[in-house]
Amino acid sequence: MVRTWLSCLAAALLAGLAAPGLAQRSTPVPTPGLAPSHVDAEGRLVQDWGTLGIALSGEGVRTGPPSVSAVSVAPGVPGVRVVRDGGVVALEKAVFRAPVWPAGLDVVTVRLASNTGRDAPVRLTVQLPQGARVGRRLVTLGGRALVGLPESPTPVREVREWGHWDEATDLPGWARPESESDPAFRNIRAGMGGVPIAYRFSVQPGAAANVFLGFCESHWQAAGQRPLVCQVEGAPLQEVDPIARWGVHRPGVVLFAARDANGDGKLDIAVLPKPGAPDTNPILNAIWLFPAGAAPTADAVVSGRMNALATRVVDVGGPGDQALEAAGALLYDLVVPSAGMELTLLVASPGASVELPGRTAWTPETLRAAAARVMAEWRGPASR
Amino acid sequence: MGHEHRCRGCLSRRQCLQFISGAAIAATAASGELAGAAPAVRDRGAQSVDPASLRPAPRVRVAAALLRMPTPYWLGWPGTTFDLDRHSRQVHAHIEASRRALGIDIEVADQPIQDEAGLNSLMQRVAGSRPDALLVVLQHLACWGWVDRLSREVKVPLLVVSPVGTSFTHTMVGISRRPGVYVVSSLEWPTVEDGLRMVRAKRMFEETRILWIHGNQRNETVLDWLGTRVRQIPRHTFNEWFDREPVTAEVRDVAADMRRRARRIVEPTADDAVNAARAYTTAKRLLAAEQANALTMDCLGMVGARLVPTPPCGAFMLLLDQGITAGCEADLFGATSLMLTSYLLGRPGFLSNPVAETAKNLLVSMHCTSGSRLWGFDKRPAPYIMRDHSESSLGVAMQVLWPVGDAVTYVRFTHAGEVAVDTGKVVSNVATPPAGGCRTAIEVAIDGVADVRDVLPLHHQVVALGNHRRVVRSFCQLYGINTIHSPAAAA
Repeated sequence: MVRTWLSCLAAALLAGLAAPGLAQRSTPVPTPGLAPSHVDAEGRLVQDWGTLGIALSGEGVRTGPPSVSAVSVAPGVPGVRVVRDGGVVALEKAVFRAPVWPAGLDVVTVRLASNTGRDAPVRLTVQLPQGARVGRRLVTLGGRALVGLPESPTPVREVREWGHWDEATDLPGWARPESESDPAFRNIRAGMGGVPIAYRFSVQPGAAANVFLGFCESHWQAAGQRPLVCQVEGAPLQEVDPIARWGVHRPGVVLFAARDANGDGKLDIAVLPKPGAPDTNPILNAIWLFPAGAAPTADAVVSGRMNALATRVVDVGGPGDQALEAAGALLYDLVVPSAGMELTLLVASPGASVELPGRTAWTPETLRAAAARVMAEWRGPASR
Repeated sequence: MGHEHRCRGCLSRRQCLQFISGAAIAATAASGELAGAAPAVRDRGAQSVDPASLRPAPRVRVAAALLRMPTPYWLGWPGTTFDLDRHSRQVHAHIEASRRALGIDIEVADQPIQDEAGLNSLMQRVAGSRPDALLVVLQHLACWGWVDRLSREVKVPLLVVSPVGTSFTHTMVGISRRPGVYVVSSLEWPTVEDGLRMVRAKRMFEETRILWIHGNQRNETVLDWLGTRVRQIPRHTFNEWFDREPVTAEVRDVAADMRRRARRIVEPTADDAVNAARAYTTAKRLLAAEQANALTMDCLGMVGARLVPTPPCGAFMLLLDQGITAGCEADLFGATSLMLTSYLLGRPGFLSNPVAETAKNLLVSMHCTSGSRLWGFDKRPAPYIMRDHSESSLGVAMQVLWPVGDAVTYVRFTHAGEVAVDTGKVVSNVATPPAGGCRTAIEVAIDGVADVRDVLPLHHQVVALGNHRRVVRSFCQLYGINTIHSPAAAA
């Protein structure tokens, strides 16, 4: 008995010692001189921010051991292929480094095909680091965009009562309001790269509300630099140039007579850059929702004195703000045909972030072409 | 294998040789007393690099077709009196002239498109052959529905020519503002040729590999939107190559010519000119070895570390004048902005720092490197005064004298997907001293901006001679690139 126990202990110790060896069995993703990423023995893509794995579940799904190999994943494109027997579906993952300036990005293409000759329903889980937030088209972690998601299929989402559903960035403490005002004016969300700031609130279908959007510009000293376009459902568009209207570091609010115009039980609010604006990064400091009958003055709203009457006060980009979708795994419920289907993810490589899909000219096709073109001529230093 | 020089926008080999040989008389003087920082390396008979071989010369393929309704025409524009046959002949002649002038392949459909079947066939051909653009010339007002469809379904840039009498404003305005489309509603064929130049310029961006000389890494990436390859190489590469660069006959000739062409020489010595010429030949050789077409490097860092006896300013003027983008301070998007003026406008630019002149309400644009062939690569150069690099008092940097009263255009890629565009008029050339800063300095009245302090606060905007706002904005629209401009009144 003691001998058996000692044998188990020795085996465990050996396994422990072997663990680093397993980690070393990783396969590098070839790059033209850029910081490398790897695919580990489990088929996970290893980056400086953590790992990205793909798992399948569902009736008849089996998780066989992965086969990882360095191959050409497309003509002239070196990469890494992971093949796994998934039971009712075949799973193949191809990874290559697209040499996108400045640091590149890894393109992960997941190919699924039904092995049964008929459609196979499966759940695909994209395994992400703890704390990663899944947005509409981006997965972020601590403000860094890690994964760009395809337009379709759409992931399974758990939706909250209200929250932002954009790709903007929290910038707490960004603003320096110089007049007495609600503390919410100190924080903002910013649509870096020109992305809209978007919020959604659950309301009674068709309901009306008075919505105040709060702004305080603390970067520009002159008007005309960051004009904004505000879209509040059911209300006319309004253009706002915070400095022209209130001045530098001066908080102010704009009132909208909002209504759930399409009757879907959701009130949508968005702040966008005005087309042609020199600074295309929209900002938003605060949102107040009041019942339709309540019409407080702008000064009273700015001061925060009317917060108790509001049905919702959002300290945009502040500690009480939240995403519309709850944090969690990135899940897809898919029906896999025997002809197969693909899912392409754009993954941040070491030291880089991914661009919001739609704000870049890159497509999976052009990324492959760029990789083939660069790798075909990649070589060491020239000599005289 | 013979090399066909397709590009018409830069100096030919013959022009280049004339440019160099014109300095032969002064060569002796320049190669005489070389003291101080004079290069010790002797001529080892190195082969000269033809600058024409460095400029990208992509193959550009454009498909073209005439769109019309079944004949004979009756009521409805262009009307019964419109001479279709004559117009068709004129279009074919224009296309042939543009093909030769721009060095691009334009394949015109054998028969005009005059029904849905013909349109479908055209779209299939385009989908199969994937030309760099599709050019359609309208011969009837009723063809705009087809243009609408082409603009939505054809996956290549679309150039639409609508001679006056084949559109109303309201039929073309929506389509004319769509990304991926360039509409000419005019009888002016040169404006159509502008569109073909846009297509060629985009292909030149795609064919360009730019050397990004800074840091200590070696890697290669590709720019979004433009498709330009960026090869980063360690900064020390340039000064090591420079150290080994011999004083060849070409170097002596270039140095002598640089001095001969100067309206006045203030600080630089003959040795400085030779070193500037060595920087020029070093850059060409490095570009050729790396199979690259453009460069931008951390020149200030190299000067600050005293790794080179001369900043590359004088050398960069020569490269810019020959259609080779050479940008300052490893500013990659400054360099792509220089490429834009070179590839699209056929002239060198002036990458500059902005200074607000508040007494006169003018923008002063200053830097130590400006091209001199401001009117075009094949046009006469602007005069220059030979100076040193102002901040370091080293080497050669030209004060290029810009033509007072002429229009200018400012362009700057803020990133690969956005270009800032402004225009203005040159008011004066600023001398240093009394001003400090950089050697080439021009005062410019910016169009449509009430207060000069409101001009977009962008570093390294590139100035090109002439008002090219329409062409630059159209190029950006054709390729889905956003444009911005300074606010008219910001206060």
